[in-house]
Amino acid sequence: MIRKILPLLFFISIDCYSQQYIANDGEITFFSYAPIEDIKAVNKKVSAAFDISNNDIVFQLYISDFNFRKKLMQTHFNENYLESDIFPKANFVGKVFALEDDSAIVRGLLTIHGVSKEIEANGMFIKNNNSIKISSEFNVKLEDYNVSIPTIVMYKIAEEILVNVVIKLNSKR
Amino acid sequence: MKFKLILIFIFCYSYVCFSQNDLLSLIDNNTTEYSNYIFKGTKVVNSESVEMPDNGVLQFMIQHRFGTLNSGFYNFYGLDNSQVRMSLAYGINDRLSIGIGRSSSLKAIDSNLKYQLFRQSKGNKTFPLTICLNSSIVFKQYFKSTSENSIFLLSDQFSYSHQLLIARKINRKFSIQLSPTLVHYNLLSIDQFNNDLYSIGYGLRYKLSNRISVNLESFSQFNSQNKINPISIGFDVETGGHVFQFHLSNSAFMINRAFIHETYDLWSEGSIYFGFNISRVFTVKE
Repeated sequence: MIRKILPLLFFISIDCYSQQYIANDGEITFFSYAPIEDIKAVNKKVSAAFDISNNDIVFQLYISDFNFRKKLMQTHFNENYLESDIFPKANFVGKVFALEDDSAIVRGLLTIHGVSKEIEANGMFIKNNNSIKISSEFNVKLEDYNVSIPTIVMYKIAEEILVNVVIKLNSKR
Repeated sequence: MKFKLILIFIFCYSYVCFSQNDLLSLIDNNTTEYSNYIFKGTKVVNSESVEMPDNGVLQFMIQHRFGTLNSGFYNFYGLDNSQVRMSLAYGINDRLSIGIGRSSSLKAIDSNLKYQLFRQSKGNKTFPLTICLNSSIVFKQYFKSTSENSIFLLSDQFSYSHQLLIARKINRKFSIQLSPTLVHYNLLSIDQFNNDLYSIGYGLRYKLSNRISVNLESFSQFNSQNKINPISIGFDVETGGHVFQFHLSNSAFMINRAFIHETYDLWSEGSIYFGFNISRVFTVKE
């Protein structure tokens, strides 16, 4: 009995392995539309992994890799708002549901600024031979993640931030 | 037999359970984390800090020093007198900045270059300190009557200072800086014997909140005839686009040679100058 199961298990785990897709050069952009000044920042070093066998999906980025047009905003973002010295990373750990016709729903735990919160977003999953291109757009509320923006700042910041994700994952082999 | 089977099942189950974390560890590539924002401004109080304008950013700074607090009600405790230094600094790239300034009462024009040699970091690349080299040249114009006297050369009006700025951010609130400094005078004043004066500067910064910090600064002179060292305390307040620095010091000067070696006032006598720096940055190159 056990001799039959053991090789089987071995095969399963091998199989799992080959179904992983990873990337470390994804792009996440966020926008804050505000009356005085629109704010936009891009992070081009987003890493992600997607396991097609069990639909697990994870994203991770370093807060300090976000680039702003104005360096002063970048300073404030890192030092005062996101406190990237204490919370250097943000990540998402979730699952893909209802994947059909290239579109899917992704649900999971988004951790920013040390606070984890359940979110849900619609995404496009376009599969090629050895790669999957994922794109998605969702809103993040600042107060959900304990990011407090003082009322007297030079530029007003919207309370909800639009997050755009574009990432191409390649098969692990 | 059954026990082994269960064991395998448990193993299997745990594998599934932890797979998300495994997935996360798959992409968890370590990077180098740099220590940023060691000081709020490009100056501790009077002296240069390891900070410099970001790449493509132009910083305009106005520095004001009023008269001494002990000058009495007649002088409104010093507020009647003031001297100004206006300066521009520009970040040429991430490691190099250039600056130019003009001090009113000294009639001096100064220019400096600051270059970052090392950057404090942890992670893949670990280095404990941020080290910058700061070199400046000062053209202190003589009074008109002196410069018309032909025994003085143009070069007599130049002096130089070179400093190594060695800083460490100990934690997110507390930063320290040591600044070994060499000042070279082309022409000495009557009370000095050495053209090259050595000193070491000390700077401390403690963040009271995300926007307010308290700074301390002092210099020890080694071979100067003047034994009075400058001691300053200041507060940095950040309001969006501006950084305000308010301070008290026994020196009223804002360029290296003058506040390190030409301070003759004493805290103990109440000869304290109130002053402030205001800086504003403009993004020139995006």
